[in-house]
Amino acid sequence: MSQKAESEKLLVVKDIKKQFGLNVVLKGIDLSVASGEVLALVGGNGAGKSTLMKIIMGIYQPDYGEVYIGGDRITSFKPIVSLEKGIYMVPQEPMLFPNMTVEENILIGFKESHASLDERLRKIMADIGWNLDLTRKALSLTIAEQQIVELLRGLMRNARLLILDEPTSSLTFDEVLSLFKVIKGLKEKGIGIIYITHRLSEVFVIGTHVAIMRDGHITLQGPIADFNRDMLVKGLLPDNMQDIEKEDVAYEKVDYEGKKPVLTLDHFSGYGFKDVSFDVYPGEILGLAGLVGAGRTELATTIFGREKPLGGKVFLNGQDVTGLSTRKIIDAGINYVPEDRHLNGLFGMDSVAANTTSSFLHNRAMGNAFLDRKKEYEITEKYIKDFRTKVTGQDQEAGSLSGGNQQKIVISRCLATNPKVVILDEPTRGIDAAARGDVYSIILELKKQGVAIILISSDMEEIVELSDRAVVMYQGYKKDEFKKEEITQPALMNASFNITEKEA
Amino acid sequence: MNGLKKFLKAREAGSIIFLILLFFIVGCMNPAFLKPASLLACLNDSVVFTLLAAGIAFVILTGEIDVSIGATLGMSAAIAATILRDGGNWGIALVAALITGALIGLVNGWGVSVMNIPSLIFTLGVNGVVRGMIYVFTKGAWVENLPGEFTKLANVMLVGQLTVFYVIAIVIVLICNYITKKTKRGRYFTAVGDNISGAALVGIPTTKTKILAYVLCGVFASLAGMAYTSRIGFVTPIAGNGYEMKAIAACVLGGVALTGGQGSLFGAAIGAIIMSSISRILIFMGFSSDYDNTITGVMLIVIVVVTTVMQNREIVRNHHDMLLARTNKEEVKKEVAEA
Amino acid sequence: MNKSFSEKFKGFLKSWEFVLIMILLLEVVVFATKNPKFLKPAVLLGSINDIISICIISVFVTFCMITGGIDIQVGSIVGLTSIIIGVSWQDFGFNIWGAAVMGIIVAALCGALSGFFVAYCDVQPMVVTLGGSFLYSGIALLISNLSATASYKGISGFPDSFKFISKFRFFGVLPLQVVIFVVLTIIAYILLNKTKYGRMLFLVGANRQAAEYSGINARLVTMVTYILSAMSASIAGIILTSYLGTAKSDLGSTFTLQIITACVLGGTLSTGGKGSAVGTALAAVVIGVLKFGLPLAFGVNQQYMDIPVGALLLIVVIVRAALNNQKVIAFFHKKK
Repeated sequence: MSQKAESEKLLVVKDIKKQFGLNVVLKGIDLSVASGEVLALVGGNGAGKSTLMKIIMGIYQPDYGEVYIGGDRITSFKPIVSLEKGIYMVPQEPMLFPNMTVEENILIGFKESHASLDERLRKIMADIGWNLDLTRKALSLTIAEQQIVELLRGLMRNARLLILDEPTSSLTFDEVLSLFKVIKGLKEKGIGIIYITHRLSEVFVIGTHVAIMRDGHITLQGPIADFNRDMLVKGLLPDNMQDIEKEDVAYEKVDYEGKKPVLTLDHFSGYGFKDVSFDVYPGEILGLAGLVGAGRTELATTIFGREKPLGGKVFLNGQDVTGLSTRKIIDAGINYVPEDRHLNGLFGMDSVAANTTSSFLHNRAMGNAFLDRKKEYEITEKYIKDFRTKVTGQDQEAGSLSGGNQQKIVISRCLATNPKVVILDEPTRGIDAAARGDVYSIILELKKQGVAIILISSDMEEIVELSDRAVVMYQGYKKDEFKKEEITQPALMNASFNITEKEA
Repeated sequence: MNGLKKFLKAREAGSIIFLILLFFIVGCMNPAFLKPASLLACLNDSVVFTLLAAGIAFVILTGEIDVSIGATLGMSAAIAATILRDGGNWGIALVAALITGALIGLVNGWGVSVMNIPSLIFTLGVNGVVRGMIYVFTKGAWVENLPGEFTKLANVMLVGQLTVFYVIAIVIVLICNYITKKTKRGRYFTAVGDNISGAALVGIPTTKTKILAYVLCGVFASLAGMAYTSRIGFVTPIAGNGYEMKAIAACVLGGVALTGGQGSLFGAAIGAIIMSSISRILIFMGFSSDYDNTITGVMLIVIVVVTTVMQNREIVRNHHDMLLARTNKEEVKKEVAEA
Repeated sequence: MNKSFSEKFKGFLKSWEFVLIMILLLEVVVFATKNPKFLKPAVLLGSINDIISICIISVFVTFCMITGGIDIQVGSIVGLTSIIIGVSWQDFGFNIWGAAVMGIIVAALCGALSGFFVAYCDVQPMVVTLGGSFLYSGIALLISNLSATASYKGISGFPDSFKFISKFRFFGVLPLQVVIFVVLTIIAYILLNKTKYGRMLFLVGANRQAAEYSGINARLVTMVTYILSAMSASIAGIILTSYLGTAKSDLGSTFTLQIITACVLGGTLSTGGKGSAVGTALAAVVIGVLKFGLPLAFGVNQQYMDIPVGALLLIVVIVRAALNNQKVIAFFHKKK
């Protein structure tokens, strides 16, 4: 690419690297978008897409690499700089002012006179053909409407490059069609668009170019005409499995002969999932695959008593445990390792010992009123040893550990209650390869002990490697169920993206 | 009709309706209360709290709090009164008071916004220091013998039976209310309190906005100090002690949410009237004014608990609706059924 | 667990409590050199009555702050307890100790009410306890109106057995109320560091969501802190009433600044998760000695005492904020 061609590009990103703590998120990204291009950016969860976008928006500072906007190199990474250069991002979860009206939300931050802004806004809305009551408060809008507001914000700013982060994930069919119409119109006006999506079918409808991101790399990039769906799916899959130490993942076939399920979901419904039925047997690993928003976490947290169920039943060893409180669920023998470690898992300010025993705390074994320090010490020491957790001592603050060791602490907390069923929600997200291997051996050891494991993971290879059976969810419904021999990455991927055989 | 609907939706509406109902009920029990002189006296009496509440409303709108305004009021009042007593011009006294308020506000704004110190803690510390400095400044004595023309000012009527101070106060409040509601930069206060990261994302200078809110809050407190001095006629070292709590209470009564981003200066002024009418109302209803604090406390707790519970329910409901919409989408049902 | 004594001692030297003890010693040395009278046990321990309420209450307000809350209604509970004792003893003929117990029970109920709104309705603690401070001081005033004695005069003439609380000296020097303070601090220390409740408290403060995912009843744990702080305020009210010999409804109305200062100076994180009973107790004593020593040694007017207290609070929070910034800077330097 010559210098001249580059300066015509709206956005050029060169060799961007970024890590948070020990977690390397971006490993050298090169990307460019020209005027009138729609770059469809596809990638699984944790591939680094949103980190990259936040760097382009000036929210994060890259550790290494260069960003050029309209030919100018960005030296100071601040949202206001990117905004001024004509970049606008419509985030997946819109950042509106809930107590302001739609109109205020769109027009805030401008310096022009109100009358001219108003006129422009009405013109844009008429152009697009979207109707939205401008006097409504943002808090009463649906997510789709909020996204429209965000989009209007970007258009009002005369953005030259729009970033749309999974804009269709909560839109209805008609809304999607009108959004596509808008995007086509923008494209003709010479606006560049980065369109982040999970839906492969959309890539071919809307994109002029495509880039696939996986694990901090761009695995495939180019004009859309050069690719077909199979090539994209391939790009999403890892080219080798060296990440996992094979000897750690020694698979043992489960003998289901004469076994009764320990956990049974019977047409279980709740907020974010509907009519889900499956069984989990002792000593098996049930993989639960799907995309973000497929309702897996909602399903798990509802079983765990964090949300009210809306219908159906959950049985633990034949006993009805539907809608019990979290404490009773833990006592009954189910425990859960949360998806978001920092939000729901870890007590960062507290010691390793306090973290490990937190879920076991209400148990008599930890003492009646006074804390049984000896018991606490024993339990903590056992898990530090078993899991090879690297700590300076039991009194080390959990927040100062590396991501992998933090995750081991959260898993210890969950196992300290001796559960019969363990739900692990994204247990290896954001941890390094060595810790990942350790987590896998923990899971396999549990399996050996006859614990039933539900493994929620967006990392398809993880599900393939570990699961005895797999269930795939799509948009809140159970899409498919696979036996061990049927579990392959393409099969899981197709089910997750809701691609039926004939389509693929 | 549309205007009425809009009015009813506004947070101040509840407070205004409450105020009218309150006055109406008291009037039914004792018609003397509804005489214009008595009603206007309610307004006139509220002047100090109107200014304090409107000032702190700036800070509360941005999602912070300022508990140093009582001391700011006392300090500006003491400085202004001393200048007046020693024969100074009232203009100089006013400017000195305003500078005092602005400086204290600037310190608060720096601590909260630049240093990121929790606002309650920081302004509490400032409150202590300023309160002590009033003693140092006045040497613990009362500032008395103020010139007559200044103290008489409090009784000069401008519009019918309204004192000149209340008219000035309400005009300032209404102007600022307009600015914070209708102008581009004025909306920044609410925006910062409503969603601070969203505000930064659209290029609003959040740090500066917060500092400005504190400065304005200090300036309003010093204006309140001027009104206070003129009405009372002297300044003691404990002038304005505890007024910060009453001003916060007035804001809550006037529909200003302490979580930030909701409410208005006008609402705060209405709250101030409710707040300061309570003792007068009690007398008209034949109760001792000793019920004042009890009633304020009950009103405050009831209003805050009810609005918080309703708001939290709405947030949960919105979240649930979003999740339900996902599984109830027709095309998804079809897709899944087909597969 | 198996730490040697020297290791523990090294840890102590690094702790904030050690810094507070050093500050306290510094205060004592400075004040004593300036005015040797300061060191007389009778003078030093006699001054305790002015600060004992702050000391006792702040130790338990620390509990609220560990959960990330705050309690600014405790001052009004002091007056409420005082007037309940006075009125029920003088006008309703209660036994003085019965009256005191009733004061504590009423205080606990007040704390429970505010705690309920904070924990179960998720209302901001600051607002609830602000409302509470109006409500409970208002009720105190109303109760004082039930008495034959005018409320501004206060109710006096308590039996000697009641005054005993503030008059008794162990071995002729050590005042009983100091012993009460030390005992309450030890109880608070045990509650926080040795019981399951204390552990839950820290967990809830560090991460309430994670605590709920661990099956901890975070709401109940939070509510109890407000009951404890209200009860401590009522004990302070009993001691203060005994010392003054007068029951008044407005006692304690000026305590808030000093209580919050003691908590923050004691190392409590106002955002929750960290705090220590001993730290707060030491900090309260540091503030008390400062307020007592400055006038005695330097002739500073008693009325100016809000300045050093406020300044101390500001210095602590600003230095902490600056240090945090430094850490961030150093962190990034290392990275490069």
